[in-house]
Amino acid sequence: MFYFKLLKEKLFISLPIIFLYFFSFYHFQVPEVGKINFFSFNFQMILIYFYVLKFPDSLGYGNIFLAGIINDTVLGISLGTTSLSYLSLSLFTSYIRTATLRSAMVTEWFTFIPALFFSNLVYLIIINNFSDVSFYYVELLQNTFFTFLFFPIFYQIFNLYQKMIKKD
Amino acid sequence: MADHRDDFIIAIRYALLKKGAKQKFSLFFLILLSISIITLDKFSFPLINTTRAVLNDLVYNVAILSSQPSRLKNYLVKETKSHLSVKSENRFLKEEIEYLKKQNFNNAFLSSENQILKNALDLSDIKGIEQDITISARVILDQQSPFLKSILINKGTRSGIIKGMAVFHNDYLLGTIIETNFLSSRVLLLTDLNSKIPVIIGGTDVNAILEGTGKSQNLNLSYLPENYQLETNKIIFSSGKDGFLEAGIPVAATYINKKDNILIKLLGEPNQALIVNVTNGQINR
Repeated sequence: MFYFKLLKEKLFISLPIIFLYFFSFYHFQVPEVGKINFFSFNFQMILIYFYVLKFPDSLGYGNIFLAGIINDTVLGISLGTTSLSYLSLSLFTSYIRTATLRSAMVTEWFTFIPALFFSNLVYLIIINNFSDVSFYYVELLQNTFFTFLFFPIFYQIFNLYQKMIKKD
Repeated sequence: MADHRDDFIIAIRYALLKKGAKQKFSLFFLILLSISIITLDKFSFPLINTTRAVLNDLVYNVAILSSQPSRLKNYLVKETKSHLSVKSENRFLKEEIEYLKKQNFNNAFLSSENQILKNALDLSDIKGIEQDITISARVILDQQSPFLKSILINKGTRSGIIKGMAVFHNDYLLGTIIETNFLSSRVLLLTDLNSKIPVIIGGTDVNAILEGTGKSQNLNLSYLPENYQLETNKIIFSSGKDGFLEAGIPVAATYINKKDNILIKLLGEPNQALIVNVTNGQINR
């Protein structure tokens, strides 16, 4: 019983890492509404940005790197592309964390814009220079926009979850 | 100004090199590692290719497991819909059988006429032995990212699949093999931006290149003759000009959408494909 409880606690604490890996393996598809796929957003980017910014020890850089490699394998793009993109996001976020004195959700939401831009720029540079695949720029833009838009929702969910962990 | 620059450098250095209490690797190390992997992957060293093939097989198998709940949901929805539509489908099928019986006589006549004409022109149907390979495979993963339209099948180099082979579903071309591992392969769908095949428009002698746009209901034809106007309800066939695909494989069809625009849609349905046939260019009948 004790071990079961311990395992449950460990699993609960490791949920961000589990989600990071799960969504690298599994890319959910939601039907499009009209011409726009509103639900096409990058959950991993929100997760990485939030945790590197607020709880840097919860999500190791090693896990972020590995999740990126898995993502590349599943999607069939050059190995290391997503890893470098995620690590760039982590670098930018880490810089924001070091440079910011007081944090507020709105500020963090808006600093997510340059972070996303920087990370996607790295992604595009690698795709354009290191692979010969054409790219859906509009879909990437759409995906980035909805990633930015959904950030406050997940911000609240993750904060709630962190509070639950602290309570336990 | 100098102070600001110093602060920036210190913050960047801190972000890159500071590992934190529970971090095992620094960002700097992992970024360097990523760049090395990308470079090695770009130059396709044999060791990297083998490692990648093993990694692909491993990751695909875990990805299959992670997609099981979603597959179960899709299966249940599909089965329920199919159960509810049995009666109307039965009526439709009966009508279709009657129609096909009539068409069959017509086809037999056309086929014999075609053979006579071929004989007269001294054209032969005999193809090279290497064109007779057909491998049936199961679609194991169809997680289409917003950036690459592809599916994974459960046969790889061990079953004789090589890059460039054509993939069919219900006699319709779906795509081509772009990546092979030992136990699995990746199929680039015709709907992907990177897919380009030479085609001919049915009933005409107009050649073009069929390009994917990311959507199965809106493909693109390039290199059409100047001032050529597409007509609706035309079937688009492979022209065989690439020297690989057999000519005359039905690939796409033109149709009118709700806004009265003539668009091109794929005949095969990649989302519905469970079992596919991999051939080296010839349609599997």
